[in-house]
Amino acid sequence: MAEALLDVTGLNKSFGALLATNDLSLSVRQGEVHALIGPNGAGKTTLVNQLSGDLIADSGRVVFRGQDITRLPAHHRARLGIARSFQITHIFENLTVAENLGLALLAGHGGNFHFFRHWRRAPRLTERLEEALTRFDLLQHRDQPAASLSHGEKRQLEVGMALVVDPQLLILDEPMAGLGPGGTVELTRIIRRLKGQLTILLVEHDMDVVFSLADRITVLVYGHDIATGTPAEIRGNALVRQAYLGEEG
Amino acid sequence: MTRKQLFLLLAAVLLSLLPAAAHLFGNPYLLSLASRILIYGLAAASLDLLLGYGAMISLGHAAYVGIGAYAAGILHLHLGAPGLAPALALVADSEVSGLVILPLAVLAASLAALVIGALCLRTTGMHFIMITLAFAQMLYYFFISLEAYGGDDGLSLLGRSKLPLVNLDNDTHFYYFCLFCLIAFLLLASRLVHSRFGLILRGTGDNERRARGLGVNTGRYRLALFTIAGGSAGLAGALLANHSEFVSPGLLNWTLSGELMVMVLLGGIGTLFGPVFGAAVYLLLEEGLNMYTEHWMAYMGPLLVLAVLFARNGLLPLLISGRKRHG
Repeated sequence: MAEALLDVTGLNKSFGALLATNDLSLSVRQGEVHALIGPNGAGKTTLVNQLSGDLIADSGRVVFRGQDITRLPAHHRARLGIARSFQITHIFENLTVAENLGLALLAGHGGNFHFFRHWRRAPRLTERLEEALTRFDLLQHRDQPAASLSHGEKRQLEVGMALVVDPQLLILDEPMAGLGPGGTVELTRIIRRLKGQLTILLVEHDMDVVFSLADRITVLVYGHDIATGTPAEIRGNALVRQAYLGEEG
Repeated sequence: MTRKQLFLLLAAVLLSLLPAAAHLFGNPYLLSLASRILIYGLAAASLDLLLGYGAMISLGHAAYVGIGAYAAGILHLHLGAPGLAPALALVADSEVSGLVILPLAVLAASLAALVIGALCLRTTGMHFIMITLAFAQMLYYFFISLEAYGGDDGLSLLGRSKLPLVNLDNDTHFYYFCLFCLIAFLLLASRLVHSRFGLILRGTGDNERRARGLGVNTGRYRLALFTIAGGSAGLAGALLANHSEFVSPGLLNWTLSGELMVMVLLGGIGTLFGPVFGAAVYLLLEEGLNMYTEHWMAYMGPLLVLAVLFARNGLLPLLISGRKRHG
């Protein structure tokens, strides 16, 4: 069995009386695509926020590459190699496409207190920036403000920003949300190509996408993990059928 | 050459010829007003760093102008006093007091911004606006009650700071010195916003959560910018103290913070040069309307409303339209 990259044990988080995360345990193995599914309000995004550091868990442990990161702030986790994309597209709307990617490349280093030289002339940046623009098919939009991109291009840029720094773990929070059929196919292709290169935790509503991409799936209901297994195992799981897949017939 | 460069070149030529024109018309007051515009322009542009690039809505920027002004005033008083420490007396005698006074005024304002910023930046949004305002008002009342330095009546300077090469007591020299300070600030600041530091800051201002998600320790960058903006406002304050040879606690009042904010919005937020233009329009309107009526504010208000309604991005971007916001 492959080694666990991310280990979550007994995680709890409540907002007032609402128990959004309830004794949740989850293990993501090195190199796999691990999907997280569950009905609306199952606490998927709350969990993702606790993994990325945007929220801090009430109790429980999050261990990444053997290091306890339960209480670490978001920017520390990013530097350890956890990258995320957001459910609502989170890019820097007022910056150009090149500036968005440049910022993503520079952000991981602490030493950005350079006040005079143009950011594009930072050491070893030019090649990596050109490479990223090409890789994510954004070359012709480089000097456009990100706000002027189409929805699909924004997604592409966002995923690109998460990937340029070669993260260990990529958390994709509903990457297909709001994409047309063409965009979904394109993004599925991009994710499939990434498979094996890095570990991916995929939160997604689109069941076709989940079952075609995931190595293993964890099902959340009311903040608790009710089942984890391969797509075939999840399909056959009575509990899951009842709680979740049943909804879709 | 772009329209923006053409516009800036034109502005630079006009500004450098202005003293000659003032002499020609025999109107020295014009020169004094122009110096005041340059100084307010510097203060407004420093506020634009916070508003337009860092998305930090500070309603207490007057505090740093005021601290710069008081630092200059207080140092002036002591450098001229008898029984001074020999090292300081040497500086005072050698006719270069400005070389001590101006940097110390900037330092004092920077330090104040560093401490106040460290506290204010724990909050965001509405709370940030209110807490920056609260600190500024606290300092305002502090200087009002500071009897040793004039209290409510303010503090008179005996003459202006002394610098090598220029004689600040000469109004033309003083005008050119203000112009030099403003241009130096604008050049450095426009380098700053396109540097690595600037890129990180603009990103943080745009979407702080995303910036943190990429690994940016956003608080440190914001505090650094807050300190830089405060120090620059301090320079404006020290110049203002020299300009009128008087420091009033009114400089720290929130009305100045509000005026500076109006100048930024009027001229064009996030453009650096725009706020200088905004300061010119604002002060000229004030002077112009003041000649006709003492109720000039009643006319100024509607004019500002119209300007904001019809020039959303400010007057300067409107004049050089077609340019993008962070150009």
